Amino acid sequence: MTTHTFHVRGMHCKACTVLICDTFTELPHVEGAEVSLATHEVRVTGDFEGSPSEIAAQLSKLIEGHGYSLSLEREAHEANWGDFAYAVPIAAALIFGFVLLQKAGLTSLIGSGTVTYGTAFLIGVIASVSSCLAIVGGLVLSLSANSAKEGGTWRTQALFHAGRLGGFFLLGGVVGMVGNSLHLGLTANIALGILVGLVMLVLGVNLLDVFPAMRRFQVSLPAFFSRGVNAGAKKDHYLAPALVGIGTFFLPCGFTQSMQLYALSTGSFTQGALTMLVFALGTLPVLALLSFGSLNIAQRSWNGIFFKTAGLIVVALAVLNIGNSLVTAGVIAPFINF
Amino acid sequence: MQKSILVSAGLSVLLIMGAVWFVSIERGGSGPAQVASTTPDGTQVIDITAKGGYSPRVIIAKAGVPTILRVSTRGTFDCSSSIVIPKLGFQKFMPPTGTTDIPISAKDAQGTLQGLCAMGMYNFQIRFE
Repeated sequence: MTTHTFHVRGMHCKACTVLICDTFTELPHVEGAEVSLATHEVRVTGDFEGSPSEIAAQLSKLIEGHGYSLSLEREAHEANWGDFAYAVPIAAALIFGFVLLQKAGLTSLIGSGTVTYGTAFLIGVIASVSSCLAIVGGLVLSLSANSAKEGGTWRTQALFHAGRLGGFFLLGGVVGMVGNSLHLGLTANIALGILVGLVMLVLGVNLLDVFPAMRRFQVSLPAFFSRGVNAGAKKDHYLAPALVGIGTFFLPCGFTQSMQLYALSTGSFTQGALTMLVFALGTLPVLALLSFGSLNIAQRSWNGIFFKTAGLIVVALAVLNIGNSLVTAGVIAPFINF
Repeated sequence: MQKSILVSAGLSVLLIMGAVWFVSIERGGSGPAQVASTTPDGTQVIDITAKGGYSPRVIIAKAGVPTILRVSTRGTFDCSSSIVIPKLGFQKFMPPTGTTDIPISAKDAQGTLQGLCAMGMYNFQIRFE
């Protein structure tokens, strides 16, 4: 009976620790396994054969399919400050482009006539490149870039988008049928805005990869949330991104909220559900580009520049969101007007 | 490396200053132009339009008079349809098309009332004088 400690690469949430833990303890020759998210380490006890590096390779194979790997040595941390020489101007140019887009008056493209499914789609497309991009897009970029950086697969991203589309369909239907909006009050909206801003701030700083100590504050769903009563840990691991996708229905985004108000006025499940689904489909191209784009780029040689650029943009958007929430709370005077 | 860092820093500063300048400038000639109208019963009515921002952005009104802020929406699906007035603790999601009356009591009609959309992207001001 021996105990070994290995470093885990690719772990990003509580569900990951549960998944790895369960995979190892299922083995007949393993007595127990302990996984720590804070230190990214796993301690396994059991009857092993071979050298530690052989054991690491054996165990690694079992969890490779989920995007994790084990190693004996902690990966060396490099800040790669040189990447900022490219990342800072690229990020500044993209933020400049975002501001120009807001000033372009895209909202005048929407007529005041009746809302057809075509209009709902158009509103979705406009929403995905306007103010909502600051909050929903920023969140998608920070989550997917982080997930890609930690070795996440396309499955995580696809589940997020499936959850978002399904959630908009179902909740849109509920809003239409019940005839009651799922809007949050002013205080809740401000609190949510600040919370999302803080989450983005942590994720953004994580992407910058200059303070390794920040990893301890990694945003993760609480364990009780990921460990369902009946469902196995493997399923839960896929449930988390889908739940986040559904959760985007409640994000403080002006377009989403007014579409909900329209869905409500239809007074029918089908119409409400379809309107919200079509709206979500309109936002899909830009959001999918953000998430699958970051996954693709994460495998390129210049991914360091991408992660730092994404980090800078996410931090800027986080500051914008927190600032705007404080303005809405009446704490500070408005500092921008798009 | 040194040179590229200098170039990148210079470029970034220019872009960020440009973005700040764009955001802070007033939209073409929307200075404090609009003056509120008064109905026969002594209530003053302020008309503003919400679509991709609020217009006019600055309104001058009489202080200490019961006031109705009448906001019209015309196919407004952006942030400006969810209006917030922090001082009054007021928030409303207005219908995409229609008019919404927001009553402001004589007591509240003092000083400068700041209104904005729920995400803080667009704002407007009523100056009670």
